Amino acid sequence: MNLKAESNQKTKNNTMKNIIIIGNSAAGVAAAESIRTQDSKSKIVMVSDEPYFAYCRCLISNYLSGSIEEKKLTYRDEKFYSDNRIELLLDKKVERVDVKKKKIVLAEKQELLYDSLIIATGAHASMPKDLKGTNKRGAFGFRTIKDTNDILELLPMSHTSCVLGGGLIGLKAAYGLKKRGQDVKVVVRSGRILSQVADDKAAGLLLSRFQENGIEVLLNTGVSEIIGNGDVKAIKLENGKVIGTSIVVVGKGVTSNTKLVRDSDVKIDWGISVDEYMRTNIDNIYAAGDVAQGYDLTTNSSQVNALWPVAVEQGKIAGANVCGASLKSKGSFGMNSVEFFGLPLISMGVFEGDYETLVYYNKEKQVYRKLVIDKGRIIGTLLLGDIANSGLYFHLIKEKADISKIQDDLLDTNLSYARISDFVRQDEKIYI
Amino acid sequence: MKKLYYDVSKCLACKTCEIVCAVGKSASKELFSSITEDTKPLTCVKVKDAQGKNFPIACRHCKAHPCVDACIAHALSYDAKTGRVLHDKDKCTGCWMCVMVCPYGAIRDNKKLKVPVRCDFCADTDEPRCINACPVGAIMFLEEDELESREQSKNKK
Repeated sequence: MNLKAESNQKTKNNTMKNIIIIGNSAAGVAAAESIRTQDSKSKIVMVSDEPYFAYCRCLISNYLSGSIEEKKLTYRDEKFYSDNRIELLLDKKVERVDVKKKKIVLAEKQELLYDSLIIATGAHASMPKDLKGTNKRGAFGFRTIKDTNDILELLPMSHTSCVLGGGLIGLKAAYGLKKRGQDVKVVVRSGRILSQVADDKAAGLLLSRFQENGIEVLLNTGVSEIIGNGDVKAIKLENGKVIGTSIVVVGKGVTSNTKLVRDSDVKIDWGISVDEYMRTNIDNIYAAGDVAQGYDLTTNSSQVNALWPVAVEQGKIAGANVCGASLKSKGSFGMNSVEFFGLPLISMGVFEGDYETLVYYNKEKQVYRKLVIDKGRIIGTLLLGDIANSGLYFHLIKEKADISKIQDDLLDTNLSYARISDFVRQDEKIYI
Repeated sequence: MKKLYYDVSKCLACKTCEIVCAVGKSASKELFSSITEDTKPLTCVKVKDAQGKNFPIACRHCKAHPCVDACIAHALSYDAKTGRVLHDKDKCTGCWMCVMVCPYGAIRDNKKLKVPVRCDFCADTDEPRCINACPVGAIMFLEEDELESREQSKNKK
């Protein structure tokens, strides 16, 4: 199909549409903003199953640790919705999407019709099926303001907190709980922390920081059960040992919120499958953010990259395309920036595997920098302790730039945009 | 919407721009007293050499501004009217997402203050201080069309 021709036609057809966005976080907000830059007429309804204006989900660990207040989590306030003439339905769960009748069905059978639908329902904390007792009071996922408030409420009654999982969510929770004076134990099934974002070396250096700061990390340790009579009392390890605790945070990754389309013709894999225009397989239905599964340009496969910047970009694209544009995503990739106990880590794309690597390591300075190269292009990077120039690597990864001519200079501290500019698309002129 | 441009044929990497920038970001705005300030002021512009030439680099306030999209705290925003990327340090948590995605490598991490170091075109004055400080006139603060006409006249020469 000639997409350009189709999009031109749509742009001309400047009629008022009913646009529904399900979800009110990074992707949903970006979609709404994107729509309003091109279309001031159409009706926009946003539906969220949470009771808050959009908030900075990534900062709930800062709220847990006490470094910021709840009210500072606001990402878009009331004014945003009124200025953009968005009808906001809060605390409403969308039960299902009726693709044929082009309507969404909310709880209590409330129905809303749409011309275009953007599904930006995000994800929820995964609860392992083989783990018993996750419904007890004191066992939490760590995803929402509510989760955080529930944890904070229990803190005065708790001495020890256990975190299950050594991923970013788990470790951020552990960090926050430690800052609140809890005795924190992190229980990790695999042999290292951060296995999704760091290699052995980086993970090892970060692990030392956690241990030095009084957080106990149990590696190669499975948990079979959360024990308690209503309230959490302990966790039982697979080796039979029992650890007394009243707070358990389950940080076992996230699962896309696809339930609302599970019985429809919308194609789902781990998430809702989208193409580079953020279109699902059904006309007029788009998906963006943590619920969407699309092309990952570093692994060259289809992935859910449940990350804030990815969600914003996808939301923008979906919003523009609903208005008849034909914006294309180049694809996403894993990208995380975190700092624990003064040691910053930036991880992008592929960070280990059977590839050529460039490595710099300085033990005294606790600096570890690694670039992963496949067929003359960077497909990933790890920067620990010194994150300078990470944006340049980001750019080279995203542009799939051929770096063979500058490979020797890439880890040089003198690397600059000037050195890479011949190998990437130059959006703006800087030098004459 | 004026932006900073650099004439690479002129730049000698004297780094006067770096010094003036850092002093401008200090509390005292005076060279000698700024050196003794508790928190050392950092320059937003950096001059780097590549292939025998010198290239100053600072935040472009670029049209794409991926830093704004990546900011998880809504501390960075884009003002479409002025074409500037604004930073609210009260909201900033120093997560370095902006550093991670800046395609120009023009945002650095101020480890001590936990805020990004980036050019704000000297928001406290009328014009960026580096323009007049540059002894060879390599730094220009121009509208896009001004740049084009300058380039054309340069090419004619």
